[in-house]
Amino acid sequence: MRKILILASREYRTSVRTKSFVIGILLAPVLMGGSMVAFMLLKDKVDIRDKTIAVIDHSELMADTLVKTAEYRNENEIFDEETGEKIRPAYLIEVVQADSSDLFNVRLELSDRVRSRELHAFLEIGSEIIHPSENYEKSRIKYYSEHAFMDDVINWFSWPINNRIRQIRIAELNLNEEAVGDLFYWNNIESMGLINVDKKTGDLQDAERTNELETFLIPYIMVLLMFMMVMMSAIPLLTAVMEEKIERIAEVLLGSVTPFQFMMGKIIGSISVSLTISAVYIIGGIVTASQMDVGDMIPFHVLPWFFTFLVLFVIMVGSTMAALGSACNDNKDAQSLQFPAMIPVLLPLFIMIPIIQNPISGFATTLSLIPPFTPTLMIIRLATPVTIPLWQPIAGLAGVILYTIFSVWAGGRIFRTCILMQGTKPKLANMIRYVFRG
Amino acid sequence: MYSIELQDVTKTFDKHVAVDNLSLAVPEGSIYGFIGPNGAGKTTTIRMIMNILYPDRGKIKLLGSEHLGTRLDRVGYLPEERGLYKKMKVREILHFHAELKKGKNINREISFWLDKLDLSDWANKKVETLSKGMSQKLQFIATIIDRPEIIILDEPFSGLDPVNADILRIAILELQSSGATIIFSTHDMNVAEKMCDYIFMIFKGKKVLDGTLASIQDKYGTDTIRIQTENGISVLKGLSGIEKINDFGQMQEIRISPGTDTQEILANIMGKTRVIKFEITKPSLNDIFIRIAGPEAREEENA
Repeated sequence: MRKILILASREYRTSVRTKSFVIGILLAPVLMGGSMVAFMLLKDKVDIRDKTIAVIDHSELMADTLVKTAEYRNENEIFDEETGEKIRPAYLIEVVQADSSDLFNVRLELSDRVRSRELHAFLEIGSEIIHPSENYEKSRIKYYSEHAFMDDVINWFSWPINNRIRQIRIAELNLNEEAVGDLFYWNNIESMGLINVDKKTGDLQDAERTNELETFLIPYIMVLLMFMMVMMSAIPLLTAVMEEKIERIAEVLLGSVTPFQFMMGKIIGSISVSLTISAVYIIGGIVTASQMDVGDMIPFHVLPWFFTFLVLFVIMVGSTMAALGSACNDNKDAQSLQFPAMIPVLLPLFIMIPIIQNPISGFATTLSLIPPFTPTLMIIRLATPVTIPLWQPIAGLAGVILYTIFSVWAGGRIFRTCILMQGTKPKLANMIRYVFRG
Repeated sequence: MYSIELQDVTKTFDKHVAVDNLSLAVPEGSIYGFIGPNGAGKTTTIRMIMNILYPDRGKIKLLGSEHLGTRLDRVGYLPEERGLYKKMKVREILHFHAELKKGKNINREISFWLDKLDLSDWANKKVETLSKGMSQKLQFIATIIDRPEIIILDEPFSGLDPVNADILRIAILELQSSGATIIFSTHDMNVAEKMCDYIFMIFKGKKVLDGTLASIQDKYGTDTIRIQTENGISVLKGLSGIEKINDFGQMQEIRISPGTDTQEILANIMGKTRVIKFEITKPSLNDIFIRIAGPEAREEENA
């Protein structure tokens, strides 16, 4: 153990002393924090240039309303109340008349005007918008622009158009609008957590409203952090071991340590590096979250699981990478082996969304109990607000421990055989033979 | 008392027998030279002694024990292919190796050896800034920094200039005089002859020579004449009783046929030219090596 720790200490010091490590560890939070700061600073910095929108109103019911509503907005809603400074763009409505025979040419002409930036967009309102059930095609309202997605203007049009449609329908029914106000009240269903009992006081704790962002964000951040740690510490072992083999450092060290000690020294060095980075990020995250009054979002109960699975995951992937590195003779060999070996690390990233959406589904439960995927998928499941049965993370942990022991044993046998072997191409069949026959 | 003992050790890679039924005993405090052509099995033997490779058959004892792992901290090993962490500083890397071997008085030893091998000025420089010769000396210090009881050096002098080779030779002899057992492999027969108490030669995985230089030479008898004449090799050609002539330019080495009278050869040569030097001697280690592993031996084997 003493020798393993000496090797690990050298690995650790070599890694953390490099400029790239310091820059990397500082840069990630700076970039993340910087993007948040930039968002806060720039969120009010909208484009305040006036936007002209052409409207083709086949219903002949909406154009006036839109012009008047836009004029009201331009007079009352686009200036800062205190400074009088213009903070939003004015919307200028240009009503366009179009015959049905010439409609395509009109649309093309308007499209060209949008492309030349003369117009922001154009809106086409169907003739039968009041009674869509009678003719759906003629009830459609179409917004034409170069990038309709994420365009504020399209959202703005919804309210005056639908409000006007409602008024017309009420009038057709001879109803008093004020008397039937509740008719149009839409009841939203609120998503709540569950009622809890405070373990210390025994008091009932009311359910809290769940935050969809939190539900998604926390597991996402956790799994991303674990992925980053493995990418920064375990994956580079493949090339590091290969370089030590090519530069004949391995044989020199094998005069003092056993191949197993050599491999474990490198893996424990990598674990130390990943724990350092995660500790920095997690402590930084906790401090930042506390400062922003969102400390409640941090799932402290998941952190012990996170660190336990992280350590085992780094050992599991690290021993595989070290074994493969010992079998490589050049960068070409390393490149051909690196991607297949990374599949257990990458695959959970592709399937994380359905698992976050339904962490107790059979799919999520089964995959999270397959050892190579357990560290990431179990953390995703644990980090969601859904309670998963305790036996599952415990069974997952037991599976990961057994699989990690196997990885280290098998990796050690490949490592011992391959580390001094020069010029032999790494072949899967040979590696399997080394594992079972030595 | 033997520092290292091998009993009937065999190591096979796929179908190639790298070491075949080898037995060897290295006396404590001796310098034991391993010689043999490339690929003969020297490095494989050394790697098995170092527990880096495991023998298929046979026993290996280090300092009286078959549990090699527990004894390896008392062995220093300089492999044939050198490798050091290039980004580490000289003193730092020596400290690292000394710690791995549980060295005592580490800082004092580091300063002592850096000074002795003329590397003090480079103590705080990175390994990547050293010349090849300096790196080799540094690797040697890393091998012996903990004053091991057994020192195994695979080609320690290769690539060194005569000055540095001499510094290293003196250091090795000093370590031997302080009680260490030294094993080194070499292709330089002169070095082996001059430095080794015992010489072991391996050829195609089998032991072909093992003993003191004198005992090895005795086996071949006094069948060699070193001669220097005014006309060089030309006067030696066609003489009867001569098996082989090695021409070194200014001097020739003749191997005579069994039962040949050396005085008759001398008389024949003197009849043709003026003889400057005529020495009847035992064959050199170099000659013995070539007799065993050279083209002549291969021809005999094929025949």
